[in-house]
Amino acid sequence: MSVLYTPVQWNRNKFLYDGVLLAGVVAYILVFLQVAPLFVDATRPVDGAILRMRAFGTCAFLMLTLILCIGPLARLDRRFLPLLYNRRHFGVLTCVVAATHALQVLGWYYAFSPTPRLEALLSANTSFGQVLGFPFEVFGIFALLVLTLMAVTSHDFWLSFLTAPVWKALHLLVYPAYAAVVAHMALGYLQDAKNPAFALLAGGGALTVAGLHLAARRRDRAARGAADWVTVGRPAEIADGRARIVSLGGDERVAVFRYDGRLSAVSNACAHQNGPLGEGRIVDGCITCPWHGFQYRPADGCSPAPFTERIPTYRLKLDGDTVLVHRTANPPGTPVEPLAIP
Amino acid sequence: MAAGVVTVLQIYGMAGLAVAAVFLAWGIDRVDQNARGAFVFRPLLIPGVALLWPLVLWRWGALERGRDPWAGRYRPPRRLQDWLGIGLAAAIPVILFGALLIRQEGPLERPAELLEPPPAAEGEADR
Repeated sequence: MSVLYTPVQWNRNKFLYDGVLLAGVVAYILVFLQVAPLFVDATRPVDGAILRMRAFGTCAFLMLTLILCIGPLARLDRRFLPLLYNRRHFGVLTCVVAATHALQVLGWYYAFSPTPRLEALLSANTSFGQVLGFPFEVFGIFALLVLTLMAVTSHDFWLSFLTAPVWKALHLLVYPAYAAVVAHMALGYLQDAKNPAFALLAGGGALTVAGLHLAARRRDRAARGAADWVTVGRPAEIADGRARIVSLGGDERVAVFRYDGRLSAVSNACAHQNGPLGEGRIVDGCITCPWHGFQYRPADGCSPAPFTERIPTYRLKLDGDTVLVHRTANPPGTPVEPLAIP
Repeated sequence: MAAGVVTVLQIYGMAGLAVAAVFLAWGIDRVDQNARGAFVFRPLLIPGVALLWPLVLWRWGALERGRDPWAGRYRPPRRLQDWLGIGLAAAIPVILFGALLIRQEGPLERPAELLEPPPAAEGEADR
């Protein structure tokens, strides 16, 4: 389809999504700054700067928790898919909030350091050989670095340039980053906290992320088989003009589309940005990606002329009234005779 | 040590900016047809190139040489994601409960000892 890159491909949904995100962050910070002082130990008053760094720090943690919940939720229930489509804006905003937390820390604890602030941060505590008193700041630095890495590679260009495997591998660093954030809080603030509310919030959020991932994995594994031909289901179970997404095991997913009394199977990953084609629909006889509207002919996976994008196709067959798809992908653009629905 | 780390980071960042200047002004047009004629989005890529410039150089080289296997593009590492999810599920309780256990006011804290004053040295007691 060869759409030229733009800074952001804005649409109404993205404006709405970002508006709600921004309003949520502002509301959280304001409420935290008003409510948190009520629960502070009166014998150990907390400065306003410390309250602000805690507000931004907890906000970033909660945002990261939500980001990590969206993926498995969308796998468990399609109604969460709209949250998934604009998740990159969520990630960029999370990085900004986390960076604000870090700047607050540098600006408060190292304001009068004789050495540059970053040097002072790295050299203030070097007790790496002990658990209690471990320099928990390194966990925060690592997490912020990963969030930054993800934010700066969130443009469409990066997925195309690095390819899905490399880009995805980079963005999977969010898992160790989340564990690092939990360690950052657990070895930092939680060591001294008197109020159990934050420990419960942090523990609850973190365990929710873990539980949702286990539930989504269990569901995916239950749907998978091991033979060369993988069961798709009965044709009647697929709505006309729509698709069913089937996991082939490993990292591959195929989208089986029903249209004009026939079935065709293509890779679920759009050639543009690996958008989920199986969540799109047939428009003007072409599979249309729900993310950016890239189109492909169902029978050969080629974009209509003059565009040049191509995606892999798959063979289909009927076993009684059950549709099966072959595990092995055909090279992108390979024509496959559509399967007529009896 | 910390000063050395910061210096290395600064050198890495400056090298990244140099790579970004060359790649965004010239290389990007050679490897991505969607970038030809599109310039407004390019400043957005500067931080990414500066941060990942060794990876950028590697991918640039691979695309220039035509070494870009088609099948791999459609196989993001979802299996790894599953394992990372499981690892996270295992690590989070260990980190959280472990940290709560070692708290100074936690269950593993040794009970406080009442310290006796040191015995007075001979001669001091007479004073």
